[in-house]
Amino acid sequence: MNVLVEILKSIRPEFDFTVSTDFLADGMLDSFDMITLVATLDKTYSISIEGVDITPEHFKNLATIARLLKKYGVEVT
Amino acid sequence: MRQVKINSEVGDAVNRARTGSTGYCSNFFPSPQKLQSWITHGVLFCDQHDGMAFFFRKDRDFWHLYFCAANPTVLQQAVAAHTMLKNEPVVLDLIGKKPALAEMTAWFEPAGFRIYNHLFRMARTVVTETPLLKTDLDSRVVVASQADSHSILDLLLRSFDSRAEQIPTLYEIETAVAAGQIRVVHDAGMLAGLLYFETQGITSILRYWLIVPGFRAQGLGACLMHRYFAEHPAVRRFLLWVVAANTDAIRKYEHYSFVPEGLVDYVLANDKIRP
Repeated sequence: MNVLVEILKSIRPEFDFTVSTDFLADGMLDSFDMITLVATLDKTYSISIEGVDITPEHFKNLATIARLLKKYGVEVT
Repeated sequence: MRQVKINSEVGDAVNRARTGSTGYCSNFFPSPQKLQSWITHGVLFCDQHDGMAFFFRKDRDFWHLYFCAANPTVLQQAVAAHTMLKNEPVVLDLIGKKPALAEMTAWFEPAGFRIYNHLFRMARTVVTETPLLKTDLDSRVVVASQADSHSILDLLLRSFDSRAEQIPTLYEIETAVAAGQIRVVHDAGMLAGLLYFETQGITSILRYWLIVPGFRAQGLGACLMHRYFAEHPAVRRFLLWVVAANTDAIRKYEHYSFVPEGLVDYVLANDKIRP
């Protein structure tokens, strides 16, 4: 998960993403940040997250993002 | 062009644009709540092409344009071919860092779009909480009621540019009032000022902060701002968008420790939009 935390901190350095279970409800990411995150994940892991997967449920917390990445063959540790 | 009736139509359209894309580009990132509200009120329309989707949102006498494209070439071809972009008043917002936006702006110029206005985002990161400003004036700051909704809309339309500053509709104001997101000051039965915000967890967006001319220089604006900060002790990041040419507002925001954070909004308009 450390890599994910680093990616999230590159987008919003002022927040501690390890303490939240719902980044959107907690106001740590907004919809623009979510698109930035998708682009960063696409580039970092050479994947293309599909539009149907760009939903708030998949970006709620570290575990849901890790699950989404697993769908694209990426294991984050 | 068809009206969007359910949320999944948007996901499907975006997905078709993204599938196999090599240089996906988009200016479409509404919050889930906003997207649902647009669909519910029947103001969102979609036009799907090969490798891309246009979304049009009706706003009073003009349209907001959003796009999701597999790559810039597909987007430029679709922009050049779309008759609605030539015949209807249309604006679009390009949000990002300045160098990337310069390139994106050029994609729309052949279709007659020009930079209409330019905003940038300012942020205030909270280190220590702001104490409530204790003055007699502070008691005049109240939570807006539904009876204020029409006056709030009138004031916003009189004071801001609806093409560039995303002025809410009446139903959006009524929703914000119901959610307790607007503070107002009255004077002799008239709306003298307001502060309109949207808070989500530890982030709050200051959407509008305004004192009516004639009621300025009395400390009402400071009371509204201090009340806003004091009522949000858990918020760690306050955000706002400001018109780049509005140096007076920028100076005031800097006074309250807002600083530019590098995100820019170029508002583009076609020639059906009068300056």
